[in-house]
Amino acid sequence: LLVLVPSPLPRLRALLQRCWGRLERGLWPGVFGGQSPPWGPALAVQGPALVPQGISDTGTPSLLESVVWMAAPKQRRTIEVNRCRRRNPSKLIEIKRNIDVCPECGNLKQKHVLCGYCYAKVKEETRLIRMEIYKKEGGPFNAPAVETVVLYEGEKPTEKDEGKRIIERAKKRPSWFVQN
Amino acid sequence: MRLSVASAISHGRVYRRFGLSPRSRLDLLRNLVTALVRHERIETPWARADEMRGYAERLIDYAKRGDKDERAMRMADFWLTEKDLIHKLFKVLAPRFQPHPGSYTRLLQIPNRDGLDRAKMAVIELKGNPLPPLVRPRRHSDKTLLNQLLKGYRQDAQRARGT
Repeated sequence: LLVLVPSPLPRLRALLQRCWGRLERGLWPGVFGGQSPPWGPALAVQGPALVPQGISDTGTPSLLESVVWMAAPKQRRTIEVNRCRRRNPSKLIEIKRNIDVCPECGNLKQKHVLCGYCYAKVKEETRLIRMEIYKKEGGPFNAPAVETVVLYEGEKPTEKDEGKRIIERAKKRPSWFVQN
Repeated sequence: MRLSVASAISHGRVYRRFGLSPRSRLDLLRNLVTALVRHERIETPWARADEMRGYAERLIDYAKRGDKDERAMRMADFWLTEKDLIHKLFKVLAPRFQPHPGSYTRLLQIPNRDGLDRAKMAVIELKGNPLPPLVRPRRHSDKTLLNQLLKGYRQDAQRARGT
């Protein structure tokens, strides 16, 4: 900011002094709009030399500049607050209301799921039937082009089982396997 | 801050993703369909059984068209990897399901798998198979308390109407 030297004309000098006074007191709003910082003589120099703080000779940056600010709890959470959070109904395990008793065997089962015990029984029986089928077929990829019928000990094929392949099981018919 | 949820929304797509790629998914389902046609009852994870059900039923619909249909034969040839099952499909399953208009399979849920994953398992079977039945149809007994009370009420109402 250049300092104007008052010109030799006394009238101009007085005017300039008055304008300067008004600027100093902040009564000339045209410049900054009311709030202007206090003007004064200043050096017209480049940036960094204007603020000659202590140049970092230390090499290691001080703690206050290099730390990364992170969130941390201010107070210990009391056991009451902790209990409220941990025991909130949304955090508890839901109770299942769809458990029933299987009418066949009496074990517990879910309403929409098959009874585990009864299914294990059926699975074992199908495994034995499939072993018989495999023995009859002899090898892999010999699926017959006819229906199949499973007959237990002492049963004769009826007229419904005319053209079907018969699988013999050397056992009494279980009560839950109803013959059609 | 835009966190993209786009990957979790299906936007109306109904087919599940299985396997390593879409081709792998079809191969997986094809194996399951072949196994179902061979054994007539299989136990697999519920999602796979549910996905496979549609394909199996459509295959049977194609088989119902008949042996001579070119399209049906090509479908059966693709979907059944074991070629002796094509004979079984056209000669056994198509006549068996001829009277039915649809729904040739039964899908039932089973207790979760015993392994570490505890997967939701299902058993899918063709109706009319020769194996032992999975669910016995319950006949409601007349001897239960509720039924006896209802019977008495019905008789009283009839007597009141008669007199």
